[in-house]
Amino acid sequence: MISVAPTTANAQALDLANLTEAQTALEIKDLNLYYGSKQALFDVSMKIPKGQVTAFIGPSGCGKSTLLRCINRMNDLVDICRIEGQIDLHGTNIYDRNVDVAALRRRVGMVFQRPNPFPKSIYENVVYGLRLQGIKDRRTLDEAVERSLRGAALWDEVKDRLHDNAFGLSGGQQQRLVIARAIAIEPEVLLLDEPTSALDPISTLVIEELINELKSKYTVVIVTHNMQQAARVSDQTAFMYMGELIEYADTNTLFTTPSLKKTEDYITGRYG
Amino acid sequence: MAEEFSLSLAGSRKRLVTDKLAKYGVTTGAVLVLTALLLIFVYLLYVVQPIFESADIEKQTTLKVQSQGKTLALGMEEQNEIAYRMTDGGLVEFISLQGESSGSVILQKQLAGKVTAFSQTIPSKGMMVYGFDDGTIQIIHPDFEVSYPNDQRLIEPSVSYPLGESHLTIDESGGAIKHLAFEMSDEQAGIAAVMADGRAVFMALTAEQNMMTEEVTWTPVSTVLPDAPAKVDQILLLPNLRNLYLRSGNRLAIYDISDVDDVHLTTMMDINSPGANVTKVRLLTGASSLIVGNDNGDISQWFEVVKDGSRKLTLIREFKAEAGIIDIAPEFFRKGFLTLDDEGYLGIFHTTGNTRLLSEKLSDKPLEAVAISPRANAILVEEPGLLSLYHLDNEHPEVTWSALWQEVWYEGYPEPDYVWQSTSASDEFEPKLSLVPISFGTIKAAFYAMLFAVPIALAGAIYTAYFMSAPVRSIVKPTVELMEALPTVILGFLAGLWLAPIVEENLPGIVMLIIGLPIGVLLAAFIWHNLPKSIKQATPEGAHSLILIPVVILVGYAAFALSTPVEYWLFGGDARKFLTNELGIDFDQRNSLVVGIAMGFAVIPTIYSIAEDAVFSVPKHLTNGSLALGATSWQTLVRVVILTASPGIFSAVMMGLGRAVGETMIVLMATGNTPLMDWSIFQGMRTLAANIAVEMPESEVGSSHYRVLFLAAFVLFVFTFCFNTVAEFVRQRLREKYSSL
Repeated sequence: MISVAPTTANAQALDLANLTEAQTALEIKDLNLYYGSKQALFDVSMKIPKGQVTAFIGPSGCGKSTLLRCINRMNDLVDICRIEGQIDLHGTNIYDRNVDVAALRRRVGMVFQRPNPFPKSIYENVVYGLRLQGIKDRRTLDEAVERSLRGAALWDEVKDRLHDNAFGLSGGQQQRLVIARAIAIEPEVLLLDEPTSALDPISTLVIEELINELKSKYTVVIVTHNMQQAARVSDQTAFMYMGELIEYADTNTLFTTPSLKKTEDYITGRYG
Repeated sequence: MAEEFSLSLAGSRKRLVTDKLAKYGVTTGAVLVLTALLLIFVYLLYVVQPIFESADIEKQTTLKVQSQGKTLALGMEEQNEIAYRMTDGGLVEFISLQGESSGSVILQKQLAGKVTAFSQTIPSKGMMVYGFDDGTIQIIHPDFEVSYPNDQRLIEPSVSYPLGESHLTIDESGGAIKHLAFEMSDEQAGIAAVMADGRAVFMALTAEQNMMTEEVTWTPVSTVLPDAPAKVDQILLLPNLRNLYLRSGNRLAIYDISDVDDVHLTTMMDINSPGANVTKVRLLTGASSLIVGNDNGDISQWFEVVKDGSRKLTLIREFKAEAGIIDIAPEFFRKGFLTLDDEGYLGIFHTTGNTRLLSEKLSDKPLEAVAISPRANAILVEEPGLLSLYHLDNEHPEVTWSALWQEVWYEGYPEPDYVWQSTSASDEFEPKLSLVPISFGTIKAAFYAMLFAVPIALAGAIYTAYFMSAPVRSIVKPTVELMEALPTVILGFLAGLWLAPIVEENLPGIVMLIIGLPIGVLLAAFIWHNLPKSIKQATPEGAHSLILIPVVILVGYAAFALSTPVEYWLFGGDARKFLTNELGIDFDQRNSLVVGIAMGFAVIPTIYSIAEDAVFSVPKHLTNGSLALGATSWQTLVRVVILTASPGIFSAVMMGLGRAVGETMIVLMATGNTPLMDWSIFQGMRTLAANIAVEMPESEVGSSHYRVLFLAAFVLFVFTFCFNTVAEFVRQRLREKYSSL
């Protein structure tokens, strides 16, 4: 069937239902989401472990991206969107009235489907988040640029042209630049919304390798419509269907011995 | 199957034809547009081009001079058919220049007496005066009567005597008249003469008309000029009979003769150019300027300039001929003159244009005299025994690059200046055709309009595109765009007839309004921001912008209500007077403030519409990318949205600028059309476009004025063309930069 990457760090599969508080990065509790009168998410509850890669899979329109966007409150930008329930980030409800959305998003970074570098130089793209926080010290910025670009496996390719326009990069490089930009502000969680769907296979491979490295520092949540990708990069996989979380297990289990018929049908390609 | 195939073929043929038709149709349209644009350019240049041509002469005929005697004056009548020549023997002869009789003497008149002096008035008066050895003078005027027998033009010359045919005695005891000057108008005449005994006499004559017979009698009063130089070389008399110049070598003695009973020497000064000697002095047409010729070829223009409250003859500009000047002939109606030098060169100059239009060697032999025709289209040159007639092509000598774009010292002005004053009642008027003040006016009007429009339009555009909810936006945007359809003539007369008086009467109120509105709006926004959430959520989506309406009304009402009290409190009851008297700022009712507001309104929809589109079309994924990095809406707007929309915003501003520069009706109606060079917001201006609209109907087709107006149109065209091209170029470049979005 689908080959599953050997999980190196956590050889022992976690007990996802009973994660300790220290192991949990995010806890989603009874999340319901409505676009106007239409409900898009139904009672989603799950715990996302710290320092691991969690993948959301499912057919188009199943709500996996919507769920991802709830984690850094990007759905707030949609006027007609209404949310019930809560998401705890290290024990704090991010939908609490006192939460500063901008501060939340600094802790929960996000990379989108299409590479979206700003019309600025590579350097300025990377330090964008730092400049927002008012950091002006040249040394700090320079160090952050090198660290982030190395972290995004892009440093060697662009170190000689840091002040060129970011649009001069290829699609794959742009996406890695966006990842570098996201990790420059050192978030706790990194959300990847179909990060390779607009890229060619070789760039995809580079990004996937990168994701494997990223989890040593960050909790990574990835949405993908590509099951092989989920199988290759993730430690846990959540399968969603019609706005409901159908099955959530460690990747190995989910892809080899799914406990539900719906999951099996999906991963074996009966629908999707 | 076969049927289907043939059907599809028929369809494809039809499609092919449509395709071809569309292709050629579109191509034709595009080519026509480009051709029309090019034709406008070419036509403008075609009309403008003659003003930059220099003068050109072409020899037409050479005639033998049949009579003896040295020529004192040479001239032509208007049609260049008959020339006249006056000799030192008192001979006045008319010579035919055209047709078969060319060269023959038509009329000859011998004056009685022994000629000892001669002078002529300014060319447009066309009178000559002879002085005789018995201390008398005789004034003659060559007359030409034009009749049309058998539909043929016939010009008959005659000699008339404006002060009577009998000699007029200047001084009985002084002996022969050695030098002479004469000028006259309808009411008065003046004669200045230097007698053989060295006395300089000035005689003023006043005309008195007999009521019954309508006969004019002249009453003379004469006086002796005090402190006259011992040796006089030339006398010059101003036609207004206020000043008299006695030239003695290089020195000029200036007399004030405005009061015959108190004729006095005002000053003496040297007028030669350094290291040279004056050979000849003539008055330029209009008689405000002296043209001084030197023996080294230097020619200088002098006129009186008011400096520190007194009038002083000042060197204005200098010209250079090839060699020593022997004759100067001013043009009849323009500020140009011809020179002959002792190496046989003819020079054509123009003072306003500050240029030598022509320098051509006419003969190896020394030339004697030169005359220009009244219409300035022919030249008569005399060498010993020969008269040559040249056709002169010198239509627009006054228009040169320097006259258009540089400071010019116009006659009567205290210093060089940029002036646009194209017409006047007088023929001898010096046209002042500097494009600088009206180009300046264009830029000034555009500047104030942009000052008003750009902040409002851009802020509105950004708010609409970035913050406004979709339903409100769908109402607001078309409404603002609808403003563009408002005819500018309506904005113009509203500004000129309604707004300008309001601004004038409520000046403090308007200033307070301009300062108060942004503050009021910000204050309202701040209060709204700090309102409890419950109230904010209770207001329907998008309605919060409506709370600005009462704010605007309130601030407006307060500003106007406080206007009068503030005026009394701070400005003594009249802000206008306060500005003028206390601050020294002149106030025009129709000023840049009014134009700025009115034209701002015309420009706002243009800028708003394009900028709004630009901001709105910034891709959502860029905004999201920024927000996802923890940026606030404001940070995202400033750092990403405006940056990405900058090509569009830039081109919006440039389009607005192009519109403001080309706008005609508003500036025409809302300004006083005064071609001033002054950045003051309380002063009016005249723009290129309004200038064309005002003056084109009254300008004579083909005249310099007409062509300069076309040049103004061309400059305007170049202005807008430049703005739009720069806008398009920058937009393309920026778009290229952001093309991978």
